[in-house]
Amino acid sequence: MLLIHCPYCEEARPEVEFAYGGEAHIARPVDPSTYSDEQWEEFLYIRSNPRGRHHERWRHAHGCGRFFNAVRDTVTDVFETTYKAGEARK
Amino acid sequence: MVEIAEIAVSAAELKLGTEPVQGDGVRLAHAGPKARYSLRARDAKALADVIGRALPGKIGDTEGAIACLGPDEWYALLPAGTEMPRGEGLAVSVVDVSSRALGLVLEGPGALAVLSSGCPLDLAKMGVGRATRTVFETVEIQVWREGEERWHVEVWRSFATWLWHAFVAAMHGAK
Repeated sequence: MLLIHCPYCEEARPEVEFAYGGEAHIARPVDPSTYSDEQWEEFLYIRSNPRGRHHERWRHAHGCGRFFNAVRDTVTDVFETTYKAGEARK
Repeated sequence: MVEIAEIAVSAAELKLGTEPVQGDGVRLAHAGPKARYSLRARDAKALADVIGRALPGKIGDTEGAIACLGPDEWYALLPAGTEMPRGEGLAVSVVDVSSRALGLVLEGPGALAVLSSGCPLDLAKMGVGRATRTVFETVEIQVWREGEERWHVEVWRSFATWLWHAFVAAMHGAK
């Protein structure tokens, strides 16, 4: 089983305690009413889907309950680092 | 004609046990009635002032029967009937959740093996006096290590019957 380091619990915890939350650092529209269809499409559906380093959100659902961000390699499944929500992209 | 084997346990037999179960080096029992409070606040000091008790500062620590579950979340496990000030009007949340969960106690040298049969945490490394939310198979539980060989498990009521029988099954297989 994969162990994921929770930046809040400051512990490596088993993967099944966590829930995946999609790509990280996607800003919500500040004024949604001004968005065109193309901008909505971009915001809702278009993701970077990289081969390699991927910034993603995880939630320690069966632990402290917190969302945080992680950098995971999509090829090797290795977690490079995890950091608290709100911190700058690593 | 195909002969269908009799099922081992009928649904009627799957009731939450009331009497302690003794296994090989491990005993399963109910923790008995408790008062449970879910405590939330961004400002730990404000919450501590409201309830008049000290709060553990680090996630996973316990202090005076209060466990720190998250950066802004604590859980109090107190003798039944204990009342707590609610802090109305303040930016804290003190909620009585006594009826939400049941406490099961696993005790004895085999308790660690029974708990580890379905819990993916490395519980052997968990210090005495630590507590955390985790899972047993797919059921969310809280594990409090109350002693070297004494574990208190909090589980939501609707999962308690299943967890009880899962523990009993593990006890039969546990060394």
